Amino acid sequence: MSLIADAIEKAGIPTVVMGAARDIVEHVGVPRFAFSDVPLGNSAGLPHDVDSQREVLEYALRLFESAFAPRTTVQTPARWNDGDHSWKHDFMNLEQSSEEKRAKAKAEFERQKDLANLKR
Amino acid sequence: MASVDSVLPEAFPTQPIQYLSRTRAWYSALGYEPYRWPHHDQVPFAPLAKPLAESRLGLVTTAAPLQADTGDQGPGAAYNGSAKFFDVYTSPTDDPADVRISHIGYDRIHSKADDANTWLPLTRLNEAVEAGRLGSLTARFYGAPTVRRVRSTTETHAPEIIQALRDDGADVALLVPT
Repeated sequence: MSLIADAIEKAGIPTVVMGAARDIVEHVGVPRFAFSDVPLGNSAGLPHDVDSQREVLEYALRLFESAFAPRTTVQTPARWNDGDHSWKHDFMNLEQSSEEKRAKAKAEFERQKDLANLKR
Repeated sequence: MASVDSVLPEAFPTQPIQYLSRTRAWYSALGYEPYRWPHHDQVPFAPLAKPLAESRLGLVTTAAPLQADTGDQGPGAAYNGSAKFFDVYTSPTDDPADVRISHIGYDRIHSKADDANTWLPLTRLNEAVEAGRLGSLTARFYGAPTVRRVRSTTETHAPEIIQALRDDGADVALLVPT
C-alpha cells in the first residue's frame, strides 16, 4: 500500500496512509502517515468505538492540511486495552513458539499459498 | 534462533512492534528467504490544492470483497488464502461491497475483525462529509491486491487505481492497509 501511496502522490494527488505497522510504512516511505499503535487490522480506529474511529479519521484529515514535507508521521491517540501493551508480545514471536508450532505454521502457510495461487 | 530485536524489548513496552525484524525472524525460522521490503530514497509530496471541505476523497483499501464458497471470511476466521484477490476492484461508496480481511495477516490473537469500520472507514467518512468537514467521497472506493510482487503493484495496480481516482475526480486519497 505504501508503494501505491507513492505512485498516487507522484500523480499529484495528496495521500494519507492510515496504518498500524509503523516501521514497515516508514521504511518504505510515504508522504503522510497516520499511525495507530494497535494490532494490525485496526488502523481506522478501535472496534465498536465510534469516538475512536472519528478521532483517528480526524487525525488523518488534519494531516492533509498540516503536513509540509513527505515522511510526516503523526501518532493517533488510539490505545489498545487502555494502554496495556502486553498484546505486542504475541505477534509472530519466535520466543513464544516451539518447533512443533512452527512446523504447523509452515504447513499451513504452504497450504494457503497454494490455495491463493489457484486463483491467480 | 530469534535475533535480539525480534521480540519486544521488555524495557520499552510502549515502542511499536518491530514488524520488519519480527517477520524476518519468523519466516527465516520457517525456512523462507526474508522478504525484502522496498525503500524509497525520495518520497514525493503533493500539497493540498484546496480546502478539505471542497475536496473529494477517494478511499483505497486492501480488504477483499466477501466471496461465496471460499471458506470462512468472518470475524476471527483463520488466514484464508482463497479469499485473496489479484486484480484491482472498485465498489460504489453509496452501496459498498461487504469487504473482509481474512486474506491478510492481521493480528488474530488480539483482534476479532468483527467491526468493518476498523479497516474500511466509509461510515465515518460519510459523517465527515455530512458535517462539512470533507467535500465529498468519490463514487467508488478502490481495492488494492496484497501481492508481494513490487512490479505488479507499481506497473499494474497503482496505475489502475490512479486512473480510477482521476476518472472519479478525486482530490485526495486515503489509503488504509490492513
